[in-house]
Amino acid sequence: MTDHLAHEIVNALADGELTADQLANANNHLAECPACTSNALYQSLLKSATSRAGHRYTPPPQLRERLAFLATQTNSQLQQRGNRTAASLSRSVGRFGSLGWAAAAVLLFVSLSQVFIQRAAQKAETASAERAAQVTEVFDQHVATLADSQPLQVISTDRHTVKPWFQGKIPFSFNLPQSLPNDVTLEGANLTYLGNQPAAQLVYSIGKHRVSVFLRQRSRSAEASELPAENSGFHVMGFSTSVLDVIAVSDADPARLAELVTAVRQAQTGDQ
Amino acid sequence: MGSQWKQSARKTGRQNSEFEELAWPLLPSLYNLAFWLSRSATDAEDLVQETFLKALRGFDTFEPDTNFKAWIFRILRNTYFTSKAGLAAKRTVALEDELNEGGESGPAQYPEAAIDRRTPEINLLQLEDRSALSAAMATLPPPLLEVILLCDVEEMKYREIAMTLEIPIGTVMSRIARARVALREALATQHGTSMGARA
Repeated sequence: MTDHLAHEIVNALADGELTADQLANANNHLAECPACTSNALYQSLLKSATSRAGHRYTPPPQLRERLAFLATQTNSQLQQRGNRTAASLSRSVGRFGSLGWAAAAVLLFVSLSQVFIQRAAQKAETASAERAAQVTEVFDQHVATLADSQPLQVISTDRHTVKPWFQGKIPFSFNLPQSLPNDVTLEGANLTYLGNQPAAQLVYSIGKHRVSVFLRQRSRSAEASELPAENSGFHVMGFSTSVLDVIAVSDADPARLAELVTAVRQAQTGDQ
Repeated sequence: MGSQWKQSARKTGRQNSEFEELAWPLLPSLYNLAFWLSRSATDAEDLVQETFLKALRGFDTFEPDTNFKAWIFRILRNTYFTSKAGLAAKRTVALEDELNEGGESGPAQYPEAAIDRRTPEINLLQLEDRSALSAAMATLPPPLLEVILLCDVEEMKYREIAMTLEIPIGTVMSRIARARVALREALATQHGTSMGARA
């Protein structure tokens, strides 16, 4: 037997995270594969041993006392602040009667504005969290690509081989640059998933540095142009077209990476 | 006016008791995670204290009936990773190094190379050695250590871990896999060293 259970499946089995179908498939495989059975057993033992070893540090009694004291202090501060707000609101309401409906309208306007501002802030926060999650996902996938154990799904320096390989696999189309900057080579590609959506991962090399360029259908919330410039020593760049979100990640020189990103962008917009 | 003060005080009082009901039972877990991350009793105490106060002040932003544990753990790890020690730890760890922790052939040869060369008895002996496992855990970089602590020690589900760390579930799964490979390699290295020392 050559195909073993993937690391994630064995771990999910130990962690009780497999669905009924996945569990049935895993059990079928384990019934025939001693190596995976041994592996799964070891993972379960490792999990329980880690749990025992991980419960290592207990809080000192004085920490609980200090926290209780600080909590009381903070509570009284919060209560005083609450009282001041209530008093000020009450005074406003007193004057409010004399000012009549005009003041009511102003108050309503201010309240509505606050609601809109809060909603906008929440929206911005959600978008920012989504972007952060997207960068983490892209970054992890790029790092996985760097491992020798993960061969590319299509290995070719020819864009006429790589692009057709995606036909029928992804619900969008894209172009690869006809000409690449100096010392940049297309190595191949992977079909991958970002945020549960299918995406194309084009893998280039700039000198000895690998570059992953991820392309997926444009999402409403994530603006690739607002991506952080760097993540754990890797440079992250991106752009969006009307239909695509594109993110490139690499530890290559940022200027060289920018040249490649520009070439990919021009290929999408037909400015080559 | 007086009734509004009373109302406000009652509301604050209710929030505080709710907070304390939810937060106090988590103190040992928070301290344990804080100590593992910061590797220092003083830093762990400071970290837990800051987390508690931040959570208490921001408790009105916590949505009832959502996961309080994930919420307060998120505050703790965000506080750690924005602290001086956390930033330094983050800077010194690149994920590519994590992949290569077991050496060039480490994770790449999993599972065959990690399993078949050792007997089940040796594996069991390694796992029985609690101090060896603690030492192996201490070698994990923070992103792998925190995910293994949340999964194995706190027994959080992948979905809760994803919420706590603000990463996709797929990333949680791959980090757990990498963390366990790294633990196995660290244990194997220790075992090889100790066998060598005895010989």
